[in-house]
Amino acid sequence: MSTLSALAHVQAMESMQAVPLTEFRHRHLSGRPLVIVPLAMAGEAGAPLAAMVGSAKRNGTLLVVAQPRNRDQRFAFAADLGRIVMDYIDSFRQDRRGEGERSRYTEAPQILVPNPGGVKALADLGRMCRFRATSGPYAVPDVVPEFGMWLTFLVDWAEQAGTSMLLPVTEMLTEHWATGQSTLEDQNLASLMAWISPPSSLSVEQAMADAENPDVCPPAGPSTSPEFDNRDLAPAIRRFDTARTLGDPHALAAAEAELRELIAGQIQPTWRMVWQAISLLRSVPEAPRTAKRFEGDCKAFTDYSDYRDSGGLPQRKRDTAIGAARRLGRLERALAEFESDMAFDDRFVLADRRSAGEAFDGTVVKAEPGRTVTTDKNRRVPRPRVTVRTEDPVRLAADTKLISPSLPTGHKATIVSVLSDRDVTQITLEITGGMGRGRVPKQGTVPEPGQRIAYLPDPGWRPAPQFPASDATPWTHSAAGAAGTDPAVPEDAAAEEWGNED
Amino acid sequence: MKKTVDDRLAALRGSAKRLDYNARSLAALENNPRCTLRALLDASGSDKTAIATHVGHPPSFGQSSFAITRGNAFEAMVKDNGCAELLRVLRETLHLTLPEVGYEDLNDVGGDGRSKERHERTEEVLLRAARGEGDGTLFDHPMLRLLIGGHKAYLEPDLVALRIDGRFHIVEIKSFPIIDEQADSTQVRAATTQACAYIIALRDLLGRAGIGEQAVSDTIVLVAPKDFTNRPTGAFVDARKQVAALTRQLSRIERIGDLVDLLPEDLTFDLAPDAEDRPRRPAEELTEALDRVLVTYRPDCLNHCEMAFYCRSRARAEASLDVLGPVVREQFGGIDTTTMVMGLARGELTPSEDQVEMAAALRHAARLRAELEDLGGAA
Repeated sequence: MSTLSALAHVQAMESMQAVPLTEFRHRHLSGRPLVIVPLAMAGEAGAPLAAMVGSAKRNGTLLVVAQPRNRDQRFAFAADLGRIVMDYIDSFRQDRRGEGERSRYTEAPQILVPNPGGVKALADLGRMCRFRATSGPYAVPDVVPEFGMWLTFLVDWAEQAGTSMLLPVTEMLTEHWATGQSTLEDQNLASLMAWISPPSSLSVEQAMADAENPDVCPPAGPSTSPEFDNRDLAPAIRRFDTARTLGDPHALAAAEAELRELIAGQIQPTWRMVWQAISLLRSVPEAPRTAKRFEGDCKAFTDYSDYRDSGGLPQRKRDTAIGAARRLGRLERALAEFESDMAFDDRFVLADRRSAGEAFDGTVVKAEPGRTVTTDKNRRVPRPRVTVRTEDPVRLAADTKLISPSLPTGHKATIVSVLSDRDVTQITLEITGGMGRGRVPKQGTVPEPGQRIAYLPDPGWRPAPQFPASDATPWTHSAAGAAGTDPAVPEDAAAEEWGNED
Repeated sequence: MKKTVDDRLAALRGSAKRLDYNARSLAALENNPRCTLRALLDASGSDKTAIATHVGHPPSFGQSSFAITRGNAFEAMVKDNGCAELLRVLRETLHLTLPEVGYEDLNDVGGDGRSKERHERTEEVLLRAARGEGDGTLFDHPMLRLLIGGHKAYLEPDLVALRIDGRFHIVEIKSFPIIDEQADSTQVRAATTQACAYIIALRDLLGRAGIGEQAVSDTIVLVAPKDFTNRPTGAFVDARKQVAALTRQLSRIERIGDLVDLLPEDLTFDLAPDAEDRPRRPAEELTEALDRVLVTYRPDCLNHCEMAFYCRSRARAEASLDVLGPVVREQFGGIDTTTMVMGLARGELTPSEDQVEMAAALRHAARLRAELEDLGGAA
């Protein structure tokens, strides 16, 4: 965190209102996102209790597992939720543009959950579903493994910085606003909203107090409040179990209705709040480069979609050595590009980087626009030098490659020297790119004395890393005894026993 | 001298019954060791929940009955039929060779469930096993004892201590899942710290009989549900670091006298309850008493300390940077309050010698912020 962001939090705390951290919203926000609010049962490994799902505030569908410990009910729930989510995903597999290799869908789905715990809940659900068999002793409906594989894909993709197919709304909000509370408290959607947009009749302090009171603001999940569990939920589930044991259809229907009503009371406030957060986020203008990043989402969506259409296998339980290295490389590159994109688009983010000494903004005090050098190939090329005077606490060293949001795209420069004297730093740069093909730089591509200009480090282009083929992996990096032949689907998958069978 | 420290602690607690340490409160020692208030309340055996509630900030740690039921059901299942499932895990998953297995239930002594009697029985059985007599391999619910600051704390492990290759190992049975050989790191950490208290107590027990501490392994056997099933699986967890940390915290409790000496003579957290256990002491007076003790609040405290809501309200009232958490705090090393940060950023306060650099960075950041807002900040 930079001094500037830290200061924004202090300002928020002092003024008791949220302070904007960015000028733009850097995440794509779909015109038709699918909101899922998952609830899970306490103490049980990934046992879903309920979910509210839908792509408009007014038509959320509430799905409830009356007895989360029961295996059949769990998978009936997974199938119901799976059908809704798969219908939604399939609705984006219509419009395709481009030929052959370049052909891709023009839109991509976007699933929004309240908080990071919601992503974890979907990850667990995905893991629970994707290996299920659709025939044999523990058969599940066809949609269940399909749904599991898609969830796993979305959760994996969400790890990558700057993507938008699966996001917790708390994360989108905290990217744009700084509050006067800790990161831990910011993960509570109600507390976060208390700072950004408290209910009209309440002060931020009152809204924060309400946000932590489970009777006023039930937790946004996936866990429910222990008081609710003990006071309301446990007796209601017991009544359901009794009615089922007795085989009394009236009592069973009544018990089910009661459970639904109880859970609706817990889940609906969060549902409404997520939609409120979405409309708040819509009011923030989208950053220019977001559209380009969204194309990456569309490409990944198309690729996975085609993989599924060709009957691809479920994702393995753990990455192989090469898979893991590849994933890590991809994540690192995406993060560097996302950070640089944001600073390029957004003067708030640029200021943030400046405050941390990772970027600077200053005035050109000296320029040699006509300077040329002769390359190894005996060509004379323009290599103008300029000196920028800045008051920013620059921490960049000579030879750092830079890009600039203040000049036409393609502009590239390298630091020649950095001279600091008290609060003022003079940085001499050599301009290396973005000047056209001629011997003389094109008009407007070399900054002039007196011009105000900003620079930040170039995340650069990195070649895709090369890895050995899976059968040529050295023994140190292959899974014990299963190199190359490790089946993606564990053979005991279908026979896994579930929950406390009752 | 020891006597007077105890008297002072008793005075801090006042008329309430002493609450002893248990594995959970011991494990919590590791969380925020620098907090004086917590150290004093724990060492004096004060009822933190009652105190926090009386000053208007009741803690909100409920435990869901679902979690408790699940935990108990899983433990019972693992231990069923003389620990049949547990043995399968040890042999198949952890590849241990356990030639013959003897099982000893230390849950009660001939129907006597009192801590002292159970502890004596545990001591007798474990010492015999350590000397290679008797045929016990698995010991169900031994009752261990640890002296903390001169007070006996009975640790009732919900687990089994067993001998593998001649050493005792603590087995911790937990109901959080190990999915694809990975478990939630926070939960593993909490389980390990709790098991550390048992390691220390067991070493203490053997040590009193002249048996060295290498007789107890500092590797814990964690047994938990595999994936989404009810079948247990196991893993070894190295607890060396946490054993050392907890040992250090325990030795700090021995020096609680140093902290007590800094307090005013008449300080007490007594609630002065009436016959029906309702506190009669005015809440303001109790708040004043609490305010005289140094508090180190961190947002993380909300997860584990009963006093956290009180401490947070106090930190907020003081405009302390502690409210924002360590990530923001460490940006402003040496500065404690938002008032100070804003004063330095606006150039209204003169920085002290070691704040000069920080103040320059702050003024720069404030200038940037002002520029952004002048140009019309975002919504």
